[in-house]
Amino acid sequence: MTPQFDEAFRDIAGASNFPMWGRLGWQDVRRRYRRTSIGPFWTTLSLAIFVGILGLMWSNLWKVDPKQYLPYLTSGMLTWVLFSTMVTEGCTTLISAEALIKQLRISYTVLACATVWRNLVVFAHNLVIFVVVCLYAGLWPTWFTLFLIPGVVVLCANGVWIALLLGLVCARYRDIQQVVTSVLQVSMFVTPIFWSPAQLTGRAIILADFNPLYHYIEIVRDPLLGRPPSAMSWLVVILMTVIGWSITLFMFGRFRRRIPYWL
Amino acid sequence: MASIVLKNVVIEFPVYGVQPLMRKALFMRLASFFSKHEGTQKRVVVRAINNFSLTLNHGDRVGLIGHNGAGKSTLLKVFAGIYAPSGGHIEIDGRVSPLFSTAPGLDMDDTGYENIYTCGLYLGMSRREIDAKLPEVAAFSELGDFLGLPVRTYSTGMLLRLGFTLATAIDPEILLLDEGLGAGDASFAERARKRVANLVRRSSILVLASHSDELIKNMCNRAILLEHGKLIADGVPDEVIAEYHARLAQQPHLTVTEDEPVI
Repeated sequence: MTPQFDEAFRDIAGASNFPMWGRLGWQDVRRRYRRTSIGPFWTTLSLAIFVGILGLMWSNLWKVDPKQYLPYLTSGMLTWVLFSTMVTEGCTTLISAEALIKQLRISYTVLACATVWRNLVVFAHNLVIFVVVCLYAGLWPTWFTLFLIPGVVVLCANGVWIALLLGLVCARYRDIQQVVTSVLQVSMFVTPIFWSPAQLTGRAIILADFNPLYHYIEIVRDPLLGRPPSAMSWLVVILMTVIGWSITLFMFGRFRRRIPYWL
Repeated sequence: MASIVLKNVVIEFPVYGVQPLMRKALFMRLASFFSKHEGTQKRVVVRAINNFSLTLNHGDRVGLIGHNGAGKSTLLKVFAGIYAPSGGHIEIDGRVSPLFSTAPGLDMDDTGYENIYTCGLYLGMSRREIDAKLPEVAAFSELGDFLGLPVRTYSTGMLLRLGFTLATAIDPEILLLDEGLGAGDASFAERARKRVANLVRRSSILVLASHSDELIKNMCNRAILLEHGKLIADGVPDEVIAEYHARLAQQPHLTVTEDEPVI
């Protein structure tokens, strides 16, 4: 048992190999730029249209000031896109690297980090929308905006365990990928992104308080909006980080060696 | 000192898609609940390496001999640490350089230079090491200014030259070679042969899988005969090759394919 976990830890230490995953992730981004004039900004553009139109429509429907609603919706959506693409692409992290895994001894953590890094770069592209919305709404950064850095870092640390765990499970059971996609689709509407938890009445509040996805969003959305960090959200996210990494370590230690056989 | 020790190693490949699928297994479980008929579930595995014990030490130049499907490539992948044994023990001491394909992670849209960096990282070199090797790689591959162009513009021969030069630019400790490391036209093939000989000289242990008696006699000081994943003979190349041909004569259905080797 012990040598297996030794190997798992050594694999996870691959996260320190920034030149490698940095290059892998960056290569994917470059691939999106290739032979198009704006590359990943196409995603940004479609997201901008989505946020712009829905934001104006809903602020009208719910009779709220678009200058208040648009920054909320945009920051929530950006964070959600970051999180959900990390999860869906996490499912294929190992499957898509089959050729490499069968030819070289490569750290799986490096692959997971590359997936997260790539999405982080796309997130940076998407931030442009938020800047534009802030200019429109007259929203200026506060000292609390600095919490954006730990927020994003912790979210990415979660992205790595999610990519590792889902990558592992999906390599063996290919059905899981579809399940994850469906669950995420529904989660987008159930999680307070389009609406605020303050609008919930009665028992429905569990959709926010007991929804870890909400807290993942909050630790990035709060600083973006210049709001003070919520202790509750940070607590939940830190708890999720510890629990998630523990499960991943256990599964990874136990099944890591089987991965090449599954691909 | 580099070394590889295998003790009673067993490698079994699970075959998915042949054994009852999850839905079928679930259905059978359900059916047996009503009819008391026990649904049997069998795991389908192919045993590629069977109870294999071997020790390789510094200075060993080992040739793997056997007909197609005898387990040569699988064994190389075990040495490379890609397939973890399902039974037995394996100890690898030293940096392993598997050369199974010429350019792992080659991106057709990237330039030659970019690919040199990517592949170099995959092969375990640091950025600084790659920088140091760059002029030599550029010179040997004779690509010159083409290195600044996307790889997709290269001819097949140029691509082979780049891949081969890259793969052989490493400083190997334990060198694993699978046959068929292509090298292009005749004039390059001659230089390629010298380069491989040089590479082998720099390595501490060489394991070479090949169908060419000539190659093994030239490059190896030890040969191992495999049949159906079992070790049949281990000794001086001439004797093991003779044994192999004697066995082939008894089993006329096993044909030998004499691939044209470059190394």
